[in-house]
Formats: sequence, C-alpha cells, structure tokens
Amino acid sequence: MRLKAALLAAVVAFAPAMMAPAMAQPKTALSVGIAAQDIGRLDPHFAVTTIDRVVVAWMFNGLVRFKPGSINPAEIEADLAERWESSADGKTWTFHLRRGVKFHGDFGEVTADDVVFSLKKAAQPSTSAFSADFRAFETVEAVDPYTVRIVLKENVPSLLGLVTNYSGGFIISKKAYEARGDSFVRSPIGSGPFAFGSVTPNQSLELVAHEGYFRGAPQIKKISYRFIPSDASRDLAYQNGELDLNYGRADQTWVNRTRQVPNTVVDVFEPGELATISFNTLQKPFDDIRVRQAVSLAINRPELVRWRGQDVSREGQSLVPRGYLGFTADNGLLPNDVNRAKALLAEAGFPNGLTIKMIHTQLPEMLSAIQVVQAQLRRAGITLDLQVVEHATFHQQIRQDLSPMVYYAAARFPVADIYLTQFWHSRSAVKVGAAPVTNFSHCNVADAEIDAARVETDKEKQLALWATAQRKLIENACGVPLIETLLVFARRSNLDYGYELKGSMSLGPLITEQTRFR
Amino acid sequence: MIGFILRRLIAAIPTLIAVLTVVFLIVRVIPGDPALVILGDQATPEAIAALHTRLGLDRPLWEQYFAFLGRSLSGDFGTSLVTNRAIVSEVAAVLPHTLDLTGASMVIGVVIGVPLGIWAALHRNRAIDIAARLLSLVGLSFPVFVSGVFLLLAFALHWKVFPVIGNARLDDFPDRIHKLILPAITLGLVMSAYVTRVTRSAMLGVLAEDFIRTARAKGIPWRRVVWKHGLRNALIPVVTVVGLYVGILIGNSVLTEIVFNRPGLGKIIVGALNQRDYTMLQGLMVIYCFLIVVVNLITDLTYGLIDPRVKA
Repeated sequence: MRLKAALLAAVVAFAPAMMAPAMAQPKTALSVGIAAQDIGRLDPHFAVTTIDRVVVAWMFNGLVRFKPGSINPAEIEADLAERWESSADGKTWTFHLRRGVKFHGDFGEVTADDVVFSLKKAAQPSTSAFSADFRAFETVEAVDPYTVRIVLKENVPSLLGLVTNYSGGFIISKKAYEARGDSFVRSPIGSGPFAFGSVTPNQSLELVAHEGYFRGAPQIKKISYRFIPSDASRDLAYQNGELDLNYGRADQTWVNRTRQVPNTVVDVFEPGELATISFNTLQKPFDDIRVRQAVSLAINRPELVRWRGQDVSREGQSLVPRGYLGFTADNGLLPNDVNRAKALLAEAGFPNGLTIKMIHTQLPEMLSAIQVVQAQLRRAGITLDLQVVEHATFHQQIRQDLSPMVYYAAARFPVADIYLTQFWHSRSAVKVGAAPVTNFSHCNVADAEIDAARVETDKEKQLALWATAQRKLIENACGVPLIETLLVFARRSNLDYGYELKGSMSLGPLITEQTRFR
Repeated sequence: MIGFILRRLIAAIPTLIAVLTVVFLIVRVIPGDPALVILGDQATPEAIAALHTRLGLDRPLWEQYFAFLGRSLSGDFGTSLVTNRAIVSEVAAVLPHTLDLTGASMVIGVVIGVPLGIWAALHRNRAIDIAARLLSLVGLSFPVFVSGVFLLLAFALHWKVFPVIGNARLDDFPDRIHKLILPAITLGLVMSAYVTRVTRSAMLGVLAEDFIRTARAKGIPWRRVVWKHGLRNALIPVVTVVGLYVGILIGNSVLTEIVFNRPGLGKIIVGALNQRDYTMLQGLMVIYCFLIVVVNLITDLTYGLIDPRVKA
C-alpha cells in the first residue's frame, strides 16, 4: 500500500515534467551572434557593413524583393509594389503599391510619398552611401497615393535591382525620418517583419516582431542581435546554447568543427566575394604586360581553394564573380605555369626576379590570403614586399594610388555592369578618374563595351558586350582573379528559415515572418 | 585635505587640455577617413565630400579644434561620427562595467598578491618562495585571451556555472556579480602576479634594514616587527604599482572584455579607433584621462595614510 502511494506520488510529481515536452511551445526568441564590435548606422541607406546590412534587411522592404534565399535577379518578386510595368523604351517605370501596408509603430500606411521620399534620399550623396547607383534617375514622382513613376535618363541593366530590398532600395517612413532627424539612424522606422526595439552599445540590438506586417505576424517574436567580435567566444557561446544562429568564418576547419556540434546545420551561401589582384598599369614594373602576365601565371588558384576550403570557396574564373548576370568563364585566363612566368620576367628584363612593394591590410582573413599569394609568387622569383597597415589606412592609401598591386575582395549587385564599372572602367580609376571608385589598375581597354552594355536593350547583345569586356580585361592582364569566398552561418537544426537558403544579398540569412523554431 | 584635492584637480586641467590637443591632432594625422568608413568601399568622392560637410570635417583644423575645446570644457562631448549616439551616454552605459571589472580585479590582485608576497619574502629561497615566484611568472606570461578561454571552457561549457556572453544587466545586482566573476579572476590573477613580485622584493628590502634589526634586538615579537615595521614601509611601492595598474586596467581590459563579451571602455576605444570616429575618440580620451587623474589622486592620498611622513 505504502509502495503504491509512493508510486502514485511519484507519478503525480513527474507528470507535469513528462507532459511538458508534448505541450511545450516552440521557442519564439532568436539569438544571433555576429562578428562585430557594434552596430553602425541603422539608416538602411548607410548600411554598408555586413553587420548593418544583415539586420536592416529584417526591418525594411523594397518596392520589389529578391525571392528569399535567392540572389538571382531573374527571381525578383513583388514586395511593397504588387505589380509594375515599364514603357517600351525601358525608361519609364510605374509601380503600383500594395494597399494597407503598415510601418512600424504608429507611423501609418506606406504610401507613394514615402517611396518617392526614400528613393530621392537614397539618390542624394549627403543622405545616402548608395547615391551613385541612382545616377540614371531623371525623376521619381507620386502619381497618386499608391502609384510611383520613375523616369530614367538612360537605360540601366537592372532597374528592379535598384528598387529591391538591397542598399538604396529600402523604403523608410518619411514621417519618421522628418520627425526624428539625425536620430533616425539610431531608431529607424521601416515596414519589415521586425521593428527596432533597443540597442545597447557594444552589446546587442533588440528587435521585436512587427505584428501588423503585411505578410502576416512573424512567428519569431524577438530577435537579440549580439555583437561578439571574438570568434572563439562567439563559437563558445553558440556551443553553449546561448546563440541560435552564428556568423561563421569561411574556413574549412571552422566548417568541419562546427558541423560536429550537435543539432547544427552549417549554411554556405551566395554571394561569393571575388578576390582579385589589380596591377597599376601606369606604373613600373606593371606598365609592361609581360610582368603582369608573369604574376598571373604564378598564381595557383586550385591551391588557394585548398587553403581556404573546398566547401566555402571556389576558383575565380573572370574579373566578374560567378553567377552574376553577364559573367563568362571562358576568357583566356592564364593557367599556373611557373616556368613560363620566369621566362616572361627574363624577357621583360628581370632575369633574377623582382621585388614588388604592396600595401596590404592587417585584417586577418585578407592578410592570410595575401601570404599564400606571396608564397606562390616566390616560386616564380617574385618577392612580395608587404607593407602591412591598419584596415582604414589600407583603404585610404590604395585609393591614393600608393600600392602598385592591390588585393581586393568584394561582392556587388549580381549584374556584371556594377563590377565591371567600379573595378575596370577608367571613369572609376582611383585618384584620376572622373568618378573614382575602385579601379586600381587604371585599365580602360573595356570602357566602350562596358558603356555600351549598360544601355543596350537587346539582352543578347548586352551579354555579348559583357563577354567581350571580360575577355579584353583578362587578355590585357589588367588584373587576375584569385578565389571566390562564400558566406557561412551556423544554425540550430530546428531553426527553419521558411525558405531554402542559397543566397542572400543582405550577406546574412533573411529572417522572415515564416522563420520559426520547429 | 579638501584643499589638497581641489588643488590637485585644478592642476589636472592643463594636463587634460594637453591630452585633448594631442588626441585631436593625432587622430587627424593618422591616415584613414571616417567618411570612407561610414560610406563603405563604393563611396564616390562627391558622397565623401558631402559627408565631410555634414560632419564638419571640411572646416579648417583650428576652427574644429576650438569648437571641440569649447564644447569639451563645458562638458559636451558631442555625438559619435559613426553611430550618431551621444558620447556621454555611450560612456555612461559602459563605465559601470569597467569600474566593476577594475575594482574586482584590484581586490583579487591585492588579496592574493600581498599575502603571497609577504609569505614568499619571509621564506626567501625556500620552497614557498620559489613556488610563489613561479606562480607569478605563470600569471604574467599567460595572455588573457588564453586564460580567459580556458576559464570559459571549464566553467561555462563543461560545468555550465557561468554564461559565455557576459553582458550583465546593471540593475540586477546578482546578475552583475555572477557575470563579473570569471573576467575578474582572469584579470585579477595577472594583477596578483605583479603585486606578489613587488611585495616580495619591497618586503625583502625593508627586512634587511637596520631598524628591523634594532626592533628585533629590543625584543619586539617577530610578528609585530613584520606587520608594523616591515609591511607599513614595504607597502609604498605596492600602492604605486597597484595605482599604476588600475590606471592601465581602466582602458586596457579590452582583451578581457572581448573574450568575455563584456561591454567596457577599452572595447569602445579600440572600436572608435578602427572606425576613425574622431569625436568619440576625443571624448573617450578626456574621460579616460580624467579617470587616471582621479586614480593618481587616490594613490597619493593612500601614501599619506600608510606613511605619515608623506604629508598631503
């Protein structure tokens, strides 16, 4: 009898515990770890760093959006605009807004006024980091509260790309911006699935679900976006269950190690960041194409991929990253051939090899990459004399033409035009170009094709022009592609994004209203 | 006493102004442009110029300097160039964390270091002394980012007693203490290593003095000789080292802050430097400099307490 009573008591005592798993609600708070010291500017038109880009994509919408999980411009779909049309010449675009879309808080409905205000703000150098993207815009006007018309001065390769949920395309609340002024960058108002909650400097940014989100209330109710610059600590915090989603390093060892953590999925996704070396074709010794070709021949891309990791990187094939609209693989890229490199150097008057000074950043991922290149060049008798400087200094000095060879890694909007224009058009040449950006080679061999392709309306002809441009740049050895490095994040296996993650222009997983814990 | 403190604080003003001037100039002399950091690598020159105008960086240097000096002296440090948040509130948000960590490490350092140093000195060249010297050598040579990660592996991942992310809530006292323990031990052990060494050598020096021999000859018990005659005299260099070290800790706990994910002054300083956040750096340096002045003042006052010959 006593035993029975004890058993009964035990059952009663443990029943809630035993039933709990069946009744447990899935988690609704998401904790994300990101490798950064602090958030920068939350005004989406100033979100240039990975940490800022990842999070503004959760708070704002564009007129259109990349299909979640994709960076294919052909898969751009409706967002704030439910439909759109363009004139026959491609210069006038009309967007019809969805009705009843609410901004966060009590900032009301998204109207054509907000769209016009946002796009004009994004196009202005003093209020946006992306103003140059909008160079072709003639006018943006509200036809009625739910219709926006954009008129272009000239054709652009992808108008939808400019008004998508990326860079300058994010729509903000006009009322909030005017009311908050300079403090808007600290407390922004958008219409996305998550709204700004609070920020603790150097610690975290808290977001809350936008219950009135037009696609439905988000299943995740709170996001804690934690700034953890130390890789070791972030990984420990993830392993300890304090993070559900963790920014990863594109490094095979990291990927292999993280895959061993129980209940973990490592996502590797687009866009790949293409690393290239540009040669300053105006300065000695790179004014001689044979020296440029010798360096190109000394580069061993398969080795670079083995070093970084097969799962997270791939060989660069062109001076435009793979998968971008207009990318071509067959450009006559020189294969690794150390003997030919040495012969070319001798021909160019350097029979005993040569030493090249190069300014480079101390940022670990970039520094280790150039050290591998340094070892490769040494085999061909080329000594790379690295002048390692702090990262901000590096960016300034390479723009002052102080380094004859520049290593640069970047991802851009996935249309060949942007990459070709910024890196290989003479207008973008650093220091001397009409609109200097990041052309460190001073090459101008493909200017005509790049310009013609930008305004070409015949898609076939446009692709052909981009292909010619890439071939000319490679043949002239303006630069040499190295490797493309993909993005890596680790997550709990029960965290379901609600879509298949193949790519994200915001450089981190998009958290949508459908993202949930299973 | 109050007069002394006031005089010292007033005497610190020229130091503060000198620091302000040097910081103002240095951050502008080093290469790197905050506008480029803010606008990113696709920035066009016109966008950079527009931002320079907006941030006031296009104005003549002297004009920027005097505007900054005027504002600083009235206690207004402005807003961060990068995040646009008020500098005073940024600092106020992290300062309690920094003071917690500095204070706790100091206590650990002194509580372990002073007795260990005395003990070692009293047993010179015997096992205890050698062990203490060896331990302090280990403490000095272990970088914080190694010892910190070991502590996290043991106490956070294995035994699960502490969290990895140590961002304590300031209004929650138990939470604040809980998250302070591991980082304070990490830093405190390093400090105790310094304190042990200084205490030991100071104590050895004092114990070899004539007055100690005299005191012993007079028949004063050994314990009393050590505590009253020896230690009091040996403490002066110890206080100096502790004072200097606390000053260093306030701004230089950055590695500990990063490993344990704690907010703190050191972390903000490094971040502002990386981002070329001129205004933030200037503000931080003024506040940092002021804290150093206060620490030095406290150190000086402590001298007077230990040794009446050092008159305030």
